[in-house]
Amino acid sequence: MSNNGTKPPFLWEKLGKVFDPSRVTGRDWLREFAQAPATLIFDDFVRVYFSCRPPADATGQYVSYSAFVDLDRKDLTQVLRVAEHPILPLGELGTFDEFGTYPVSIIRHEDKVRAYYAGWTRCVSVPFNVAIGCAESTDDGATFQKLGSGPVVPYSLDEPFVMSGPKIRRFDGTWYLFYIAGKSWKIVKGRPEPVYRIRMASSRDGITWSKLGKDLINTVVEDDEAQASPDVFWADGQYHMFFCYRYSEDYRSHANGYRIGYAYSDNLQDWTRVDDRVGITVSPTGWDSEMISYPHVFRVDGQVYMAYLGNGVGREGFGLARLASHPEWAAP
Amino acid sequence: MIIRKLGKVFDPADHTLPDNCREFAQSPQALEFEDFTRVYFCTRSVDPDGKTFRSHVSFADMEKDFSSVRRVAPKTVLPAGDLGTFDEHGVFPINVIRNEGQVWGYTCGWNRRVSVAVDTAVGLVVSDDDGETFRRIGPGPILGPSLHEPFLVGDAFVIRAMGVFHMWYMFGQRWKRENDTSQPDRVYKIGHAVSQDGIGWTKEDGVQILPDRLGSDECQALPSVLHFGERYHMVFCYRDVHGFRTDPGKGYRIGYAQSDDLVTWNRDDAALGFETEPGAWDAEMQCYPHLTLSSGEPYLLYNGNAFGRYGFGAAKLSLPEC
Repeated sequence: MSNNGTKPPFLWEKLGKVFDPSRVTGRDWLREFAQAPATLIFDDFVRVYFSCRPPADATGQYVSYSAFVDLDRKDLTQVLRVAEHPILPLGELGTFDEFGTYPVSIIRHEDKVRAYYAGWTRCVSVPFNVAIGCAESTDDGATFQKLGSGPVVPYSLDEPFVMSGPKIRRFDGTWYLFYIAGKSWKIVKGRPEPVYRIRMASSRDGITWSKLGKDLINTVVEDDEAQASPDVFWADGQYHMFFCYRYSEDYRSHANGYRIGYAYSDNLQDWTRVDDRVGITVSPTGWDSEMISYPHVFRVDGQVYMAYLGNGVGREGFGLARLASHPEWAAP
Repeated sequence: MIIRKLGKVFDPADHTLPDNCREFAQSPQALEFEDFTRVYFCTRSVDPDGKTFRSHVSFADMEKDFSSVRRVAPKTVLPAGDLGTFDEHGVFPINVIRNEGQVWGYTCGWNRRVSVAVDTAVGLVVSDDDGETFRRIGPGPILGPSLHEPFLVGDAFVIRAMGVFHMWYMFGQRWKRENDTSQPDRVYKIGHAVSQDGIGWTKEDGVQILPDRLGSDECQALPSVLHFGERYHMVFCYRDVHGFRTDPGKGYRIGYAQSDDLVTWNRDDAALGFETEPGAWDAEMQCYPHLTLSSGEPYLLYNGNAFGRYGFGAAKLSLPEC
């Protein structure tokens, strides 16, 4: 019998928006959005990968790229530099990532850096499909080469489409990939919208994956609740997942838009959702007053931080919050 | 090989098919019953826009020598896939086997794309009524793209041999345009996968098992494998990457390879001994071949001109005496 349900909530001290893509100049591929932050720690800086978009094309369609911004390790609110180029090119004609590489999750592996990213293609009956690809960097995460032109985690028997939002982790020598998988397309006001859930796969080498085949997180706001950004963090003898969720309809609004949720697990497969403990929500005013989403929790120099998105799902950038409670989380 | 051609044995225009299908009987694939042989094929309905087609699974129960048709499918054999799924826009082809008291169908599901025409993946459908109707075992595919097979996985053909399931299938390598204003054309090859249960498959991932005859852009599709005369025989179809719809010199022909161990294949198209006569139903194109035993005798089923728009034919095979 676990007593986690009675554990105190987290207390997050918001540090504000730290990166605003609209202030970046000279990069035609980076006009709006800094979505789905993911970190890689260096000696002097914290590199935050994010996904962004050039202006929409003549038909109003976007492509997405992934890139990074380096934050001063001594003061994470200070931007040192922004990537000169996207870390990955779009895919070749007809490939799964022809129209976007978003989001990306990064991990060190031996002397390389590996990226797991969602690749976007455009469909006729529904707007898009998504699968998860893999790329490696030999220059400390500045540029990446795809391991192949196809995905490493494609759609499958009971995960029929929209495999997205990868979060790569390694625990006790095993690779884990947390991601979202589409369940159905729901027609909302004449438009197909995907309904998806958080899933997991494991692997010995990070290339060949076995899917668990189970929804990890139960729904709360409605049966078709959309869940994303399953960010798993090991601390204080337990696995913790911060994720975001929203209604399936009218989700571009304050009332139905993204919020951040929380769950814990002892074995990575069975999760107990306790959103009441998450300790972070929308602000009364400002850049994160409408919605908050795409949490990523990381530890550096004895502090635990959450990077997250505000209004417009990152259209205006990402911000940081610092964990002010749970001092036991500060140690690895 | 000695080929005795039986001519076109099924014309969809002679029958009333379900799902408003009037033309096309593509990729004939056989399932033998006690006193007849069922030939599954894929036929097409026309979409409301009058321009695009949708492929449907159907069948004809035929005499064992393919001399006549007893009946055709009376109702929908496999319903359409759900919105956004890999087989939403049709199934073509389907390969059927008997397994564990059921009939299993390995489908090639089609879904339409924006920058290229389509993508495909392999699905599995199961029948509990001896192959009259099928249901999906899940909404997604059992075999789809991978690192080195980025798209167009399809055309599965499955046998059980040497203690495991073997699958030969098509995988895409690239899309390319003949010139700046052309629609993209696809290049695909034949690969091999194995499975313990027929559901979970291990691919070789990007390994082309047959050499090209028309250069690196040769398109190879629809493998079919049969054991007779103490070795394995494979037929498939191949064509040029561009111009194949209109130029008979670039269209589908039937290729052939032999193997003793299912690992090493020796391609020798001429050894099949397939010939056509000018003006015949199969003179301009030969495609979607299928090898099957009917009453213990090997037959080749295949489509002719226009990708099988007007039906399929049969030929009886025998090996030359040494």
